[in-house]
Amino acid sequence: MIPSQMLKGILEGCILKIISRNETYGYEISQKLQEYGFSLIAEGTIYPVLLRLEKNALICAQYRESSCGPKRKYFSITESGTKELHTFIENWQELETGVNRVFAESEKENQ
Amino acid sequence: MNEKMLNKSNNDLDKEINEESSSAMTDIVCYLRGANISTYYQETVRRDLLEMVLSAQDRGESIQSVIGEDYKTFCDEVIANLPKKTRKERILDFFEIFFLGTAILGGINLVMSKETITLLGNIISGQSLNFQMSITASSLLLYGINIAGACIIVEVICKTALNPKKEKHLSKPKRFIIGGLAGGGVMAVFILVAWFGKNTLFTVNIFVYCFAVLGLLVAYKIVKVIK
Repeated sequence: MIPSQMLKGILEGCILKIISRNETYGYEISQKLQEYGFSLIAEGTIYPVLLRLEKNALICAQYRESSCGPKRKYFSITESGTKELHTFIENWQELETGVNRVFAESEKENQ
Repeated sequence: MNEKMLNKSNNDLDKEINEESSSAMTDIVCYLRGANISTYYQETVRRDLLEMVLSAQDRGESIQSVIGEDYKTFCDEVIANLPKKTRKERILDFFEIFFLGTAILGGINLVMSKETITLLGNIISGQSLNFQMSITASSLLLYGINIAGACIIVEVICKTALNPKKEKHLSKPKRFIIGGLAGGGVMAVFILVAWFGKNTLFTVNIFVYCFAVLGLLVAYKIVKVIK
């Protein structure tokens, strides 16, 4: 299981990416994240993240009728959300490259 | 959807929740009520949570599978990601409680005062009528104690709604003694205040008093509309 501190920042970018593909709702996002390999991501885990993204105007929400139960909250990405997503991807690539180099170096030393 | 409509629709949805989730939802909503977020956001979060819990219920899942086991951490994260109450909202909240609380306690004081009882007796028996009502130091002090006490009790209940439930480690007789002492202490304070503050501070015409109470209720309604 990924530690929560590490997960928080990464989750925000991943959720933005999922929402950027098409309009979606909380439970569907949590299911997709699980399909991608994030273990034990409940709807309640991503709800505060969705609230934060909405508060920062990176996503917008709309209530629509659902096939079962009450109206469902659908999220779509905003223009600032798209910009934020590009920034996240750039930052992530930089971080990933750095981390990979550190670990590749360590492996060489061990060999 | 405005706050009132949201509240009504949430109350309707609340009835669809099963017994297992209902108790957890009550604690969560109670905790949110004590948070520094506006009633509108409290109701918005409540609607989102009800949607999550009811959908999970349809899938045959429990509230724990949606929110997890630690409701307090979940609520704290939700609260942290919502806009805090503005100064205007805090002031309006204060006046809403102040106007309603004062009107209710003022009304009770009117009904239970000896002047009102004497006045009603004199009307029935046809004796001369005295419309003056005396306000004592104790009635003002008890008003303050009641308002402050009610606010403290609500605050404590809301803030501790999601605290882990403690095992009752005290025996029944001990709990009975502690409860009796606490109740007796409160009664003693009320009696002392009533005894030492029985002097009349000023008198007021009973009709003026009634208009003041009605005025407070109108002020309360105005604050509700502004909110």
